[in-house]
Amino acid sequence: MVKKLFNGRLLFLLVAMLMLALVAACSSDDDKDKDGEAKGEETTDNGSSDGEISGDLEIQYFVGGYGDSWWKEVIGDFKEKYPDVNIIEHAGPNINEEMRSRWVSADPPDVVYIDGAGSSETQMVEDGQLMDLTEWIKGVKLEDGTPLMDSFIVEPAQYDDGKIYSLPLVFDTWGTWYDKALFEEKGYEAPKDFESFMSTMGEIKEGEDIAPFVTTGQYPYYFLRGVLYPAFAAAGGEELLANVIDGAEGAWSSDAVLEVMKKVEEMQKAGYIDEGFGALNHTQSQMNFLLHDNAFIPVGFWLPNEMAKDTPEDFKYGFIPSPMNNAGEPGAIVPDLRPLAIAKEAENPEAAKAFVEFVFTKEYASLFSEHTGAIMNLTGVDLSTNENVPEYLIDANAMINDPEQVQIYNKPHPMSADLETPISNSLVSLMLGNISAEEFVKEAEKAAEQYRNSK
Amino acid sequence: MVQSKKQKYLFLAFCLLPTFIMFAIFTLYPLFSGLYYSFFDWSGSAENKEFIGIDNYIHLFNDAIIADTIIHDYFLVVTKVIGIMILAMFFAVALTQLKIKEAPFYRIIFFFPNIMSVVVIGILWTFIYNPSMGFINSGLEFLGLESWAKPWLGDEKWALPSLVLPSIWAGIGLFMLMLMGGIANVSKSYYEAAEIDGANEWQQFWKVTLPLVWPQIKISVLYIVITTLNGSFIIVQIMTGGGPNNSTHVMGSYLYQQAFKQYNFGYGATIGVMILILSLITVLILQFFMRRDKVEY
Repeated sequence: MVKKLFNGRLLFLLVAMLMLALVAACSSDDDKDKDGEAKGEETTDNGSSDGEISGDLEIQYFVGGYGDSWWKEVIGDFKEKYPDVNIIEHAGPNINEEMRSRWVSADPPDVVYIDGAGSSETQMVEDGQLMDLTEWIKGVKLEDGTPLMDSFIVEPAQYDDGKIYSLPLVFDTWGTWYDKALFEEKGYEAPKDFESFMSTMGEIKEGEDIAPFVTTGQYPYYFLRGVLYPAFAAAGGEELLANVIDGAEGAWSSDAVLEVMKKVEEMQKAGYIDEGFGALNHTQSQMNFLLHDNAFIPVGFWLPNEMAKDTPEDFKYGFIPSPMNNAGEPGAIVPDLRPLAIAKEAENPEAAKAFVEFVFTKEYASLFSEHTGAIMNLTGVDLSTNENVPEYLIDANAMINDPEQVQIYNKPHPMSADLETPISNSLVSLMLGNISAEEFVKEAEKAAEQYRNSK
Repeated sequence: MVQSKKQKYLFLAFCLLPTFIMFAIFTLYPLFSGLYYSFFDWSGSAENKEFIGIDNYIHLFNDAIIADTIIHDYFLVVTKVIGIMILAMFFAVALTQLKIKEAPFYRIIFFFPNIMSVVVIGILWTFIYNPSMGFINSGLEFLGLESWAKPWLGDEKWALPSLVLPSIWAGIGLFMLMLMGGIANVSKSYYEAAEIDGANEWQQFWKVTLPLVWPQIKISVLYIVITTLNGSFIIVQIMTGGGPNNSTHVMGSYLYQQAFKQYNFGYGATIGVMILILSLITVLILQFFMRRDKVEY
């Protein structure tokens, strides 16, 4: 019986299946090369030899606090203008993780909007995954003929060699949100500098019996980017900010940084920072703010949109630059830009360039504010007459554009996660009152040294 | 019917090859690729990687957080083994020996957390520990012990011990059932004989029950150790994310942070190799200390 079984077709089938499984498991590299070649050939077909663009265009975009309605509209319009281009969208809140294997295998989408967890512009540049746009961008113009390079609120990030790999699309600004309805009802004043910040927090602590300030301890970079960056900028300008972000020798242990950290220590010692913040994730801390458990929270522009479903009807958002500046100085804002980039290995670079050019218009900038409650990174977009733009955004936009109230400082590029993580950890310790400002700067300087050595 | 040698080997191959191929693809291949990547400087998000020899291992020995993560892991191992085994044994003896009428009901209640996802358990306990709305702080306030209330998961000293409670709660049921199975197999005549000899219940437990369920205890302890070393990552990730200030990072969560958040995939793989080695050493040591001849009466 057994003999028959193994001499027969079943044995052949079994061996064939096993061989197939082995071949399939071992042949991934060969396949990739073949695919690469085949796709390379396709690319030439899609190219702009005849001046027209066509073929597949893959776009990866993260869907977070700003939603995806703006993207859908822009992509729809692009399809109308370029009917020969077939757009393949890769979108969602986890899209950065989902697309990781595509990037690893050098088969990325053509266009990428870099935002959200699991994405890092710095890392992508370090890994050489983004196309060098330095020369191309010089020739791109807006609908009215002004060069795009002259129309950014914040210019594109430049890396060590002065090259541009991404174009800042969304003008995100971290700042401090306050419970505007409570302030209006009880007559508290929105602070303009650190002194008034401390006195307002004192009044709120006394009057409301709450810890006035909350942030997320699970993601301490909210405080780092939302409060400390503007504080460093106000104290030492863009130079200090750049040095701190790059972990330059002596930057974290400088007097200016220590002075800022002393302010944080002062907030902690006065009991103004919610002592439960260490365990909170960003949503929990934001919920506490909406439930009037705290009156101040540092988050970016996306907060109202992100919490739209949970915001009580009577709640009013107020936005101020994080008030860490000394009295008499303007508030400081450090924009955190969300860029659009083209993959170095893009299979349809011409269509990708056409899409990027298509997106940067004043019309879409205005539309962006309507859809997302945030600002696109283009100057000269008048929001004050647009009825569909929320009130807080019009106020914030006016404030940002008034140099007497607010000074905008630009950072050269985002901080590397290798430096941000250890510094954020020490920051939590400081804000919990477990270490002093002096100990913090020592730890931060050590982390910066390790970061420099690891590069 | 006499089989030839060839047929015998063919039959063996038929039985073993599919399993071996699966084992090779899903266990050996990842294991060796992990080892391979640990010698590279690789972000894990791009194709290019650089061979750096044992630099990642040198970094591992100089990384201050690694020592903390190992201590945290073994803290969880020890507290979980002690907590789960004592409670599971207590409940198993109580439900089998004390003739409680509602025993089946309690069995279901204790086993219930085992059918829940660890993610759900983590989120549930995050709410229980919530400083302002949580059950624990509210309970302490109700009892007039406000001074004991604290932001459990947000406190550098208390965050790690706070993770022990949900881990024990989630683990008791399975081991209780295993021990109950062991106890049920102990013949009643031993207890009757012990009783006639004048042994009280406490002595019966130590002299009869414990030696006879030793194999189940051994397996339970080994299982808790292995699952804790490899799996406490989930509860840490859900409840604290390793914070505040690394005070709850275990080896697995630190691996995840390095490989997927800080884009040091090569270094993450090195931590993975370390976890494997430490788990193996721990299991071997445990096997050595827990070896005991099978008791039969």
